[in-house]
Amino acid sequence: MTDADLIVRVLSREDQHAFAELVRRYQSPVRAFLARMTRGDTHLADDLAQETFVKAWRKLHTYRGGARFSTWLFGIAANEFRSVARQRKDLALDEIEESQAEAAQPARESVSQLRLDLTESLKRLHSSERAAIVLCCQNGLTHEEAAQVLECPLGTVKTNVLRGKEKLKRWLSGYQDYERA
Amino acid sequence: MNAPEEMDPLDALLREQNTYIDDGGFTARVIAALPQRRRHSWLRPALLLGAAAIGAALAIRWLPWESLPPLDLSALLSLDFQVLTPWPSVLLVVVSILWAVMAAVQWDD
Repeated sequence: MTDADLIVRVLSREDQHAFAELVRRYQSPVRAFLARMTRGDTHLADDLAQETFVKAWRKLHTYRGGARFSTWLFGIAANEFRSVARQRKDLALDEIEESQAEAAQPARESVSQLRLDLTESLKRLHSSERAAIVLCCQNGLTHEEAAQVLECPLGTVKTNVLRGKEKLKRWLSGYQDYERA
Repeated sequence: MNAPEEMDPLDALLREQNTYIDDGGFTARVIAALPQRRRHSWLRPALLLGAAAIGAALAIRWLPWESLPPLDLSALLSLDFQVLTPWPSVLLVVVSILWAVMAAVQWDD
């Protein structure tokens, strides 16, 4: 059954089973996105994800079908994160000073260590750069879709992706070797 | 499409990290937290719109439109209280009705 079929069932019959199927399909990307945005606070990320789906249930009649359902969900999730980040200074923190980030990186060799470093480096990015990278590079959204989710101009998303990736490459000490391999 | 980024090895590394998160009861928690949808979601905005219409009708009927002093620039500049005093009340009624209409039109459960 397609997303559209499930949405029609939810709207016409208030079918919770159909909505549960939509949640099952998208819980992983939404929770992963929010976990990245909350710098790895999975409890908070799950609370925000739950609120995202509850809001989706309430506002499903406003979904127009022009965008992918996942894009629409990411939009709600990004709003949820923004409203929490406004109240919590630790989430609203901008990127950690570059000198600190570099000092905190000992020399790494293995690819598995590189992956760990990447996780840590993503946490250090400015939240707008992190959001753009997670949406475009990890979840496969187009720049246009990410701009829609993040409610910002297309050019800003492109800049944030490029700038974020430049920083990641600079911070990942083992990245040059990985790139050559 | 984001074609230029697809060639970047960093993208491959990032995509590799995008692993599936096991549901682990998450869906069940969401379903348990769902509020009951209001079957008559049109009722409240309709009541608000009706109240606004009645308010507008009463305002048109009962406000002393004929005895309202004309409001022109010279009256405004002269700060003549006899001219200016009735207007805030009229403005308040009109704004309240407009606000109620807009709230009803933009009603969202």
